[in-house]
Amino acid sequence: MTLRPVEVDFNESWNRLRSTLESVILLNNVNKKEWNERFSDVYKMCVAKPNPYPEELYEETKKFIITHVQKLHSQICLRVQMGDNLLVNYYQEWLVYRDGIQFMDKLYMYLNNQHLKKMKLGDSELNYGYADTEDQKLEIGELGLSYWRKYMIERLSDDLVNLLLQAFENDRLGNPTNESVVQGVIESFVMVEAYKKKEKDLNLYREIFETPFLEATRKYYSREASKLLAQYDCSQYMEKVLQRLDSEILRSRKYLHVSSHSKVSEVCEEEMVAKHLDFLHAECQRMVVSESRKDLHNMFKLLKPIGPGIQHLVSEVQKHFTKIGLDAISNLSGDNIANSFVENLLEVYRKQRDLINDVFNSDQQFIGALDKACSYVINYRVNSKVPCRSAELLARYCDSLLKKTSKSVNEFEIDEKLRRSITIFKYIDDKDVFQKFYAKMLAKRLIHCQSVSMDSEESMINKLKQACGHEFTSKLHRMFTDIKISNDLNDSFSEWCKKEKQGLGGINFNIFVLQAGAWPLAQNLSSPFSMPHILEKSCCNFETFYNKTYHGRKLTFLHHLSTCEVKICFSKKTYLASMSTYYMAILLLFENTDQLSFKEIQMSTNLTEDLLSKHLSMLIDMKILTLDSVLLDNSTVNKSSSNEEGSSPTPMKYNLEPETQLNLNLNFVSKRTRFKILAVNQKEVTQHQEVEQTHSSVDEDRKLFLQAAVVRIMKARKAMKHNQLIQEVIDQAKNRFAPSIPMVKKCIEALIEKQYLERTSSQDEYSYIA
Amino acid sequence: MKVNIKSWRGVAVWKWIAKDDNCGICRNAFDGCCTDCKMPGDECPLVWGQCSHCFHIHCIMKWLNSPQVVQLCPICRQDWKFKE
Repeated sequence: MTLRPVEVDFNESWNRLRSTLESVILLNNVNKKEWNERFSDVYKMCVAKPNPYPEELYEETKKFIITHVQKLHSQICLRVQMGDNLLVNYYQEWLVYRDGIQFMDKLYMYLNNQHLKKMKLGDSELNYGYADTEDQKLEIGELGLSYWRKYMIERLSDDLVNLLLQAFENDRLGNPTNESVVQGVIESFVMVEAYKKKEKDLNLYREIFETPFLEATRKYYSREASKLLAQYDCSQYMEKVLQRLDSEILRSRKYLHVSSHSKVSEVCEEEMVAKHLDFLHAECQRMVVSESRKDLHNMFKLLKPIGPGIQHLVSEVQKHFTKIGLDAISNLSGDNIANSFVENLLEVYRKQRDLINDVFNSDQQFIGALDKACSYVINYRVNSKVPCRSAELLARYCDSLLKKTSKSVNEFEIDEKLRRSITIFKYIDDKDVFQKFYAKMLAKRLIHCQSVSMDSEESMINKLKQACGHEFTSKLHRMFTDIKISNDLNDSFSEWCKKEKQGLGGINFNIFVLQAGAWPLAQNLSSPFSMPHILEKSCCNFETFYNKTYHGRKLTFLHHLSTCEVKICFSKKTYLASMSTYYMAILLLFENTDQLSFKEIQMSTNLTEDLLSKHLSMLIDMKILTLDSVLLDNSTVNKSSSNEEGSSPTPMKYNLEPETQLNLNLNFVSKRTRFKILAVNQKEVTQHQEVEQTHSSVDEDRKLFLQAAVVRIMKARKAMKHNQLIQEVIDQAKNRFAPSIPMVKKCIEALIEKQYLERTSSQDEYSYIA
Repeated sequence: MKVNIKSWRGVAVWKWIAKDDNCGICRNAFDGCCTDCKMPGDECPLVWGQCSHCFHIHCIMKWLNSPQVVQLCPICRQDWKFKE
């Protein structure tokens, strides 16, 4: 065979080719030689000299295909008239034709590649749409498919589709269906257009099959829904609907083109769920309240895909969460309100979080609902005049964890509990209130060395920092470092003492030097006090040492906070007692005598009368000192020894006059060899008053914060509308507390008075005065 | 000895000793810090000049480093010398 163009008799070549085509298209056997010869015939016709015949070849082939398809069509019609099944017949012919036309396409490879592809329109021309696709010349395979569409599918479509729809209906009822036939027929609708690249080119499939199919599906499931509703209650209905949905989705996966899958489930959801929302919604509340997980999960699955439908469930869930949250923290009583408050809340939170994870697949909307419920519950005020206690209770809870107790606790456990308490912390609006309380309690723990471990303290501060930022914890950090610095300082002090040959009187001497501004200590509470001589020198030495180390600093001792450990040797047995410095000073006075008058003690210690009598009362309570009038008998001693652990001291129960004589109880006995004498509250600050004080100091801080925020904003903006300004201030404060609008207004007023701002001529506007 | 002190732990607070309440340069309180610092205390100490005026160390250093022929106390215009 030669590739050189030669003269060709078109009719003769075409006739040869045609007879082969008749076998190819019916998938009859064609031997290799014949195939090769026809292949080169196509080539020769296309390049023939002097006249090539590609046009003629194309036209003749087209006619051949059309005739073939028309013949097949009439054959099918004939057989159907004789009672054969249209679907099966069509499917069989299609299978043969589909493969036959593929082979034909291969045989025409030369024509396809050299002539037809070049005439094809490019993608850009198709996209801009000025080419009419009908005019286009197609490759032979494509040509075959397009004529199958025109002369076969379009003529049979009504009957085919009707049969398909019946088959689907059967399938839904669970009757056996010829799967491959249904699949194949639907596939043929897609395939005859699949060579067109664009999605919208699936027009045929869409028009003749998908649209009526969806319509039929809609009708079917609409009927199905009413049938199910009549038969079952809500939870059963949901079960059934989910089953139906699943099987319909499976069915569409099996038979339909991928673009239809989502449409089918949409139709089903609309008919069975969206149209019956009222029915489903009506059941939501009951299910939420009874927390029937299975029903809720089903409800979630049904409502989730249809957008707004879920909102009702979300709000029911939020209502429910809020209710059980409030239940968990209302009517708390007992010693440890803080503990039950936090643990109850955390328990509720954990349960609801579990519920959301298991039942609602951790859906964002439900997590949002939980957030809203939590922040409502945690910031809930029973009475609008009373500040919310959550911040305080949480701080107390942390305090109870971090404070040393007789019980040994696992550090890891504490850390875990602290970590969880941050969950609640995040919901608290009044973070600044928490900060105040926390700082106070931290100060107490640090000064009295009551922290369970410094590591736990530090990790809690870091957790707060993470949650609320550097500024929020800077004071807490400062307190922490002061304690560390003090330890170093004490080391250098004892070295300095050695160098200067200054003894410390055998006392383990230790001082915390704190920076005045960083600690929430009430300094006005200290009373005049003269140090016992034994310590006075050491204190002076320390002051000298400190002034040499740091310049320009004034050191003030806070003796009401200082404590000591004392060995009691005057009784029969010796005891080790820890107590505040004031007690120690009183007891030291009895060194050379067993009896002193109130006045004498006051002269020596310089304590105020009020403070002294409280301390003395405590010592009398403890039976360390006795009054002349109180007769000692051993039974009362033993009974009152429980006072050593004592709840709150009840001072002022003894009538102490300046002349009252106090005796050292040389017969003092205690069950324990180590005990502690409780400090006296200097100003009779009850917890209630302490809370009030803290809240009012928080209020002061808030005013300053808001004023600073207003000035910052106005300095940047120069002029601003009232509402806008208030919004920005609230935004800035959000991380610390939720300011009330009247409060912001007051701050603006105050700044106008201080001439930071002025009102401009336009309404509701302020400007900054530089 | 009837009572014997084993150990004593004192608590004391410190403040700057300064004649004024505010720094003459940044006008912030001495108990606070200069405008560049976040926390008062050791990180933002005070210094005294021989003229007895005192400032945040950061503030006076900024002043002394600014271009000028002789280094003067910004308040009394005497030669600035750090007090030992």
